[in-house]
Amino acid sequence: MEKEKISMSKIFEEVGVLDQTFKQKTLKNGVNTYIHSTPKFKTTTFCLFIHQNLARETASKTALLPFVLKRGSKSFPTSRKLNLFLEDLYGTNMGGDVLKRGERHIMQFFMEAVNHNYIGDKNILIKGLKAFRDMILDPLVENEGFKADYVNQEKEILKRNIESLYNDKFNYAIERCFQEMCKGEAFSIYKYGTVEDLALIDNKILYNYYRECLAHCPMDFFVLGDIDEEEITEIIEDIFSFERKEVKQVKTDFVSKFVQEPNYVEEKQDVSQGKLTMGFRTNTKYSDKDYYPLMVYNGILGGGTHSKLFQNVREKASLAYYAFSRLEKNKGLMLISCGIEFEDKEKAIDIINKQLDDIRKGNISDYEFDSTIKSLVNSFKEAADNPSMIISLYLDSIINGIQRTTEDIIYNLSKVTKADVINVAEKICLDTIFFLNKK
Amino acid sequence: MKTFMRERLFSKQIQNGLKVFVMPKKDYNKIFAMYSTHYGSIDSEFIVPDTGEQLKVPEGIAHFLEHKMFEMEYGNVFDKFAELGASSNAFTNYTNTTYLFSATSYFKENLQLLLEYVDTPYFTEASVEKEKGIITQELRMYEDEPEWQVLLNLLKCMYHKHPVRIDIGGTVESIQKIDVDTLYKCYNTFYHPSNMILFVIGCINPEEVFELVEETENAKNLVPQGDIKRIYPEEPTSVYKSSHKVHLDVNEPLFLTGFKDIDVGYDGMPLLKKEITTGILLEIMFGRSSELYERLYEKGLIDDRFNFGYEGQKDYGFCTIGGETKDPDQLYKEITESIYDNIKKGINIEDFERVKKKFMGEFISGFNSLEFIASNFVSYYHKNINIFDYLNVLEEITMEDVTKRLNSFFDFSRNATSVVMPK
Repeated sequence: MEKEKISMSKIFEEVGVLDQTFKQKTLKNGVNTYIHSTPKFKTTTFCLFIHQNLARETASKTALLPFVLKRGSKSFPTSRKLNLFLEDLYGTNMGGDVLKRGERHIMQFFMEAVNHNYIGDKNILIKGLKAFRDMILDPLVENEGFKADYVNQEKEILKRNIESLYNDKFNYAIERCFQEMCKGEAFSIYKYGTVEDLALIDNKILYNYYRECLAHCPMDFFVLGDIDEEEITEIIEDIFSFERKEVKQVKTDFVSKFVQEPNYVEEKQDVSQGKLTMGFRTNTKYSDKDYYPLMVYNGILGGGTHSKLFQNVREKASLAYYAFSRLEKNKGLMLISCGIEFEDKEKAIDIINKQLDDIRKGNISDYEFDSTIKSLVNSFKEAADNPSMIISLYLDSIINGIQRTTEDIIYNLSKVTKADVINVAEKICLDTIFFLNKK
Repeated sequence: MKTFMRERLFSKQIQNGLKVFVMPKKDYNKIFAMYSTHYGSIDSEFIVPDTGEQLKVPEGIAHFLEHKMFEMEYGNVFDKFAELGASSNAFTNYTNTTYLFSATSYFKENLQLLLEYVDTPYFTEASVEKEKGIITQELRMYEDEPEWQVLLNLLKCMYHKHPVRIDIGGTVESIQKIDVDTLYKCYNTFYHPSNMILFVIGCINPEEVFELVEETENAKNLVPQGDIKRIYPEEPTSVYKSSHKVHLDVNEPLFLTGFKDIDVGYDGMPLLKKEITTGILLEIMFGRSSELYERLYEKGLIDDRFNFGYEGQKDYGFCTIGGETKDPDQLYKEITESIYDNIKKGINIEDFERVKKKFMGEFISGFNSLEFIASNFVSYYHKNINIFDYLNVLEEITMEDVTKRLNSFFDFSRNATSVVMPK
């Protein structure tokens, strides 16, 4: 290795190609389309997002809906028929799920098909898109409800899915920490809803809810791949111009909260490793100017191998294999997670608190600071190499009503100073510690 | 130079035996590099090249060694990558150990750092002791992961002696026996450039890579090493045990059944052909478009996390089928009946042709991802397979191949089942 000093400016200069110039258009029925043509990828990705408020009354219905729609449309009345068709379209991938972004509950439907140039079937896109449209807009209906068998089977599967979070101790501990922390706030609702609410849904209730969503929920439709923009715009206008009513506003709720006495919650299970999770209020919004120093704060604290948590909890104290922090940017939360021996809990909390204190006091080395910025810039640039990351970052912009290109983000990161980081550190406060202990 | 799906692959062998491959992807922002040795957790008994000593090393040492490679005399190599704005990592599996980074600037410096640290062993007693604490927590984490436990127990059922039945990371007890001396012996045996491959993909010029690698590697004045003598125990064709059940703190049972492959002992193109053939067969029998999948799903015995796959290596191979289920016994019964039924009725041509199209599309789609290309290239390379032959081999596979495999592979004397039950 040359000993030459690594220049920060070089990191910022070499921005390269940041593919995210979507052409935006709103169809007459209020559906927003975002289309971008690029020869970079071997597939074409389609993504439809249907936005809803995260709320107890609707959460289980929102979660169940994509799974029921996947089961059958008028053109493909069974999953098996649809899968036979998709396999024949060179394994075109189609599906649906729900996302939780802050206090938004978003239904996501996607399709990814190989570009026709590689397989010599020019009609693959249009065939796939028709099936995709039918899955969302033309479901199998009987007696003014979805097919009852499908609804009942999917209810049962979703119920087991909710219950099986318990099997995944890592994510279970994180989810429980957020639940305890945000009691009484919509964010405490699990993305798949609750078993109790699920039991109240039947095929008619769900169908009515579906009609209401189609009529009123905001929708964003993305297309990304090696496509003819004009041609695809026409096709989409043609097949997605269904009738809708007035599009409602979906909220972006954010809670500012300064906690005096953190909440401690412990749960006992028959496990080999203790899972320590700590939830914080950052009191900083995604749309705030302070969001950039917040990203840097999180990076210094626990965003990689250069971070204080990795260096001190893992490398120096040898207490954990993983120890990291991450942001829930749409809700303004931060989470720390590590897996430790049960008896090391106090020791780990002490070390973590020391790191938080150090940042607050400005004990940030140039190495920690520079490495964090470089690593953030690196990850934003890398995101432009991945179709779903490109779409996901753009979706964050839409949710928060603020347009940010990757260039903007990188530019703003380059302006962050240690003083800015110390400044956001003042606003970050510990809300809840959740510890998964042994029995 | 080879051309494939509008991609070009450049290769060069360095004097000391290291193989270097570069695939330029000009419109990507990053480069992704993997430096990999053909050495994994199953290589636990071998002849030390300089002394001729036959050595049996503690379980989990390949993985332990991977952790310790990041330590240099000047400190931790993670820090150097962070200074260069790159993200670095490594992993160990049954058959290889791979070091990697991705970066969007300072390509040459990062590449040089990758070569430098993997080529420089530096182990001290204190740092080896410290690592035991970290790896113990890694092993504990896996103890609480039912998916990992169910697979591990299945392999313990299938294999009498072959080290694939041992966890890649070893056990909390076995890693206590690891010391500096043994780490060096393993390193010197398996980290010679002749046993390694470097694969670089992204917005980089092949000539630049070759030049840099040659300069760095030639400075070490190493000569190619002869073949490494690895010793594996004689493995019977039968399974060790037909079933195993454990109780963990979970809500729902987890089920995994598998068949042990006895058609083993070869690598290269025939292995690739066997892998794809078996993959097609499993997809036809258990995939989303199969009658069995539809029936199991409607009965509520499986959900969309139901999974299956085939793992083929030179000296062993097996398939796995399973997932979370409310009733492992019933699920096993249905799968078994369906296998008998398939053997009786045979495969039909529409299913065969359709699944081939699906495989073709999925392989091409994978080429969106630099990580997909690199990790497949590297892991297949260690099996003497060039991944760019994939589509040709897929094309060549016939109904007869699949039918033959159907009739030989699903032998119930080589079937084992592993279940995790709630407490």
